[in-house]
Amino acid sequence: MKKIIEVKKLVKSYKELKAVNDLSFEVYEGEILGLLGPNGSGKSTTINSILSLINFDSGNIKIFGNKMSPNAYEIKKQIGVVFQDISVFDELNVKDNIDYFCGLYIKDKNVKKSYVNDAIKLVGLEEFVKFYPHQLSGGLLRRLNIACGIAHKPKLIFLDEPTVAVDPQSRNNILDGIKTLRDNGATIVYTTHYMEEVETICDRIIILDKGKIIANSTIDEVKKLAKIEEKVSVEVYNLKEKYINKIKEFPNVDKVSYNNQILQITYKKGRNNLIEITDYLLKEKIKYNSIYAERPTLNDVFLELTGKELRD
Amino acid sequence: MHNFKYTLKTLFKSKILIFWTFLFPLVLGTFFHLAFSDIEENETYKTADIAIVNNQSYQENEVLKEAFNHLSEENDDKLFNIIYAKNEKEAAKLLENDEVIGYLYITEKINIIVKESGIYQTIFKFATDEIVSMTKVYEDIVNKKINDYLNNNIEFESLYQKIYEEVTRLRNDNQNFTNDISRSNLSYTMIEYYTLIAMTCLYGGIIGMSAINKVLPNMSCTGKRMAVAPEKKISLIFSSALASFIVELIGLSILFIYTTLVLHVDYGNNLPLIILLSLAGTFVGLSLGIFVASIIKTNENNKTGILIALTMLGCYLSGMMGITMKYVVDVNAPILAKINPAAIITDGFYALYYYDSLDRYFINLINLIIIALILLLISSISLRRQKYDNI
Repeated sequence: MKKIIEVKKLVKSYKELKAVNDLSFEVYEGEILGLLGPNGSGKSTTINSILSLINFDSGNIKIFGNKMSPNAYEIKKQIGVVFQDISVFDELNVKDNIDYFCGLYIKDKNVKKSYVNDAIKLVGLEEFVKFYPHQLSGGLLRRLNIACGIAHKPKLIFLDEPTVAVDPQSRNNILDGIKTLRDNGATIVYTTHYMEEVETICDRIIILDKGKIIANSTIDEVKKLAKIEEKVSVEVYNLKEKYINKIKEFPNVDKVSYNNQILQITYKKGRNNLIEITDYLLKEKIKYNSIYAERPTLNDVFLELTGKELRD
Repeated sequence: MHNFKYTLKTLFKSKILIFWTFLFPLVLGTFFHLAFSDIEENETYKTADIAIVNNQSYQENEVLKEAFNHLSEENDDKLFNIIYAKNEKEAAKLLENDEVIGYLYITEKINIIVKESGIYQTIFKFATDEIVSMTKVYEDIVNKKINDYLNNNIEFESLYQKIYEEVTRLRNDNQNFTNDISRSNLSYTMIEYYTLIAMTCLYGGIIGMSAINKVLPNMSCTGKRMAVAPEKKISLIFSSALASFIVELIGLSILFIYTTLVLHVDYGNNLPLIILLSLAGTFVGLSLGIFVASIIKTNENNKTGILIALTMLGCYLSGMMGITMKYVVDVNAPILAKINPAAIITDGFYALYYYDSLDRYFINLINLIIIALILLLISSISLRRQKYDNI
């Protein structure tokens, strides 16, 4: 597969702190790469370094096979960036904002006009073209932010937490739009705090922690890094300590917790532990409201690898 | 052109900028009109009592003697009542007893001694400065002609004739320079309007700064977007600055129209030169805005605060809140008046209004352009070297 981004031995320090420490990875044509990590893990520093927005101490960055620099205008023409902060002009309406940022890339007026209309359609802002940013809801504002970053139809798109604080409808709209962009041939680097989004749209993920890569693979492969194979959750009232201790002694049990009337058992191995638990509860005549088993989520893996919740 | 068009659009839709650039000067102008026009009317016909130490140095200074005699003649333009003191002690006593507002004492240099600052003290100093400056012009003429004689360019017989002709021509050209500083011309309310124009020119810096901040990635989110776009930073900054300059000029035009047509301010008859000086003033304002935006490392609100503070301080020192401050600065810190854009703009208008000669006006004009170019040069070097560690 064709490499769109190549990062080699990237190092960036802020005084004593190494924000990015010897980072190397590639992004391939047509994929959606999820860049994950807790706050301060080095995600933004990595993206800003790739975009030549900040200086880095050492390392090599190539985009489309050429060295990236602040003056690499031919490379920049093919890049679109959607920043986490809303980056639009308060004084311009929706259409003018998109037209302004698109015009920095596209000089032909007719092409620009058509691209602007396509972007408006992609993010579903057709009814709001004359609205000013302060008149838009949080979700619509996020959509405008995205439209401004991708209107020029770039081949490589960076999306930095584009769905922060948006309503479910806008989130679905945004995720559908991102998939459409990928289907149209764009390569996407996507950072988010929402694991379900990553599982929905990303082809591959890189997990960063303390400036280093701790996982770099497909979602299924990353999940295999988890030490647990199954989680069983039971809603049960006033469970006595002796039963909890007994369950802890079951084969392959990794951890047992009982909080807020929820008994949670994680298993190191096996995928059919539910039966064993239901049999035990019946035998002890313990009544329960609900019981279910699930495979470990990406969030569990993340927690296990970094020791932190993604949204910490 | 694309960035220029949209910068104009964003500037015209920014309510805060519109207030500071368009409305605030009009409000302040109206305030000056209401507050000062009455004061001036009440004080116009008073004459200042001054003392002159009538020593040998004064007696030998024919130009100064003639000029003060003229300014104290009994007519409508009488500016001073002069009491001649035998020595400095006597003059100082007159000042101490508040019988005079100040006295002139010539030693190796010309000294003006006053007890306090005020409009009359300012006029006294202003008149003396002007007389001294004209004396120098006459001296230069005499020296030049003597040099011509020494270099055999003219005959000894015609030396005095040539000097006489030059001085007469100069006097005719200036239509009696003491008339220039007669009381009928000394409207100090005009100084307030001049500083108001200076302030409007310099407030344009806020527009310039705001437009530049939108291009800088460490200052705004839109700046980050522009930094990843395939556009040269310098061309974005140039087009933003040009758009800001045009908005500033429109603000200034509105101020001129309002003060002339509504407040009936008389700016004299040199409209092209007034416009030229305003253009230069606006250029300095814009340069100051770009300078603050590019040099000072803080957020936009702090930068705006710094720029407004600098502008207001400059206007204050140039006499906006009271003409006496101009006098105080002229006497105690003349260098400040030479580098303060507000003072230079004010002085440029002042010179245009009061003098037939344009020398002082053009010196101010050139000073403004030099200051603007220096500010732009420093800003350009700073922006070119600017690399971000964090944004």
